[in-house]
Amino acid sequence: MNCERDEELLTRGLRALAEEMETLKAPDELETKLLEAFRARAVVVPIARKQLHSRYWLVAIAAMLLIAMSIVVVRWRASDVNGPHQTVAQDARQNKPDVISKPSEDPVRDVEYQAVNAPGKRPVRKPPRHAALRSPENTQLANHVTNEIATDFIPLSYMNVASLQDGGQIIRVELPRSALANFGLPVNMDRYNEKVKADVLLGVDGLARAIRFVQ
Amino acid sequence: MDPNPNDIELLRSMLAGDEGALALLYRRRQGSIYRFALQMSGSKTIAEDVTQEVFLFLMREGYVFDPARGSVSAFLLGVARNHVLRRLRVEQLLAPLGDDSDDDVQSLHPSTDLCPLEDLTRAETIESVRKAVLSLPSKYREVVVLCELQDISYGETAEILGCAIGTVRSRLHRARALLLAKLRPPVEAEDAATVKSARCFA
Repeated sequence: MNCERDEELLTRGLRALAEEMETLKAPDELETKLLEAFRARAVVVPIARKQLHSRYWLVAIAAMLLIAMSIVVVRWRASDVNGPHQTVAQDARQNKPDVISKPSEDPVRDVEYQAVNAPGKRPVRKPPRHAALRSPENTQLANHVTNEIATDFIPLSYMNVASLQDGGQIIRVELPRSALANFGLPVNMDRYNEKVKADVLLGVDGLARAIRFVQ
Repeated sequence: MDPNPNDIELLRSMLAGDEGALALLYRRRQGSIYRFALQMSGSKTIAEDVTQEVFLFLMREGYVFDPARGSVSAFLLGVARNHVLRRLRVEQLLAPLGDDSDDDVQSLHPSTDLCPLEDLTRAETIESVRKAVLSLPSKYREVVVLCELQDISYGETAEILGCAIGTVRSRLHRARALLLAKLRPPVEAEDAATVKSARCFA
């Protein structure tokens, strides 16, 4: 009985407390302060949001550029791996008609010529990694116009692949025939004193990077 | 614009930079937040600070409000609760209360009657109940404040506290028992001690 009465009195007491506090509210100056803070924030936030959005755009653009660059690099590497074979094949295509049509007037020269151009015996040297950087137009034009037969470019021992990235220049020179031996090519001893034509690939620094022999 | 927008619309407008929406939302909800903080802490200073913190939080991070999880009112009271509890922890560290608060509440009942609430005037009743509520552990105090003083439903209280409705009910039951125990005069205890002594002597 007492418990029920206590419960009821407690409820009444709590209700009285709630009624008394119902009119309480935060001081008015708090609203003023909050509104001032809101105004101050309103000046800053849109700028921050704008920066945030522009940052997202920058990140997105950077990501797209990165993806595009990675695709280019992957393709470039793939073409680089296939490049030497294509170069050899192109050279073979270019050389093949000449080889067939070449009249064998001089047997010794033929031997030397075949030693240089024979597919089986020909010392196909691995072209430099960036051989694709050389100007194919120039090479094809020279071979096509003059009807010359040329070996592949043989890299010189001090060749730095990275130095070819800036481009280069091909210069036609004449060398003693004995120079063929320096590159592992057979030499016709009967014509030992004669000159042989060669194209020297010069880097931008003026140093010879590679050489090919022309007939 | 809706002449009587609901809290969610006001919050959205406020986040979009509408100062009027903030003012309206503040006027609509500041009372309950202030009272909740005051009833939880017993300090006007803390109540004002908490009210301010709640609305500053709403300005800064109001976008975290999820209508699927409850009303704006419950959201604000939940934020207020976190601020009050944090502030009370700090206050407790600075000035530990110990059992003094309990003593203060009991000392307010000079009457020797078994049902002192009957004889107390309304003002005395209110003051004693207020002190008794303040002396409760926070987990019981908050359910009393929300369910009894703020007259919030059990369901919404559960949302504010982040617990089950059953937990709210059981805590409220326990809190009322504690309040009754605190509001009973210490005479009972003295009588009991006397009886025990008599038994000893017997």
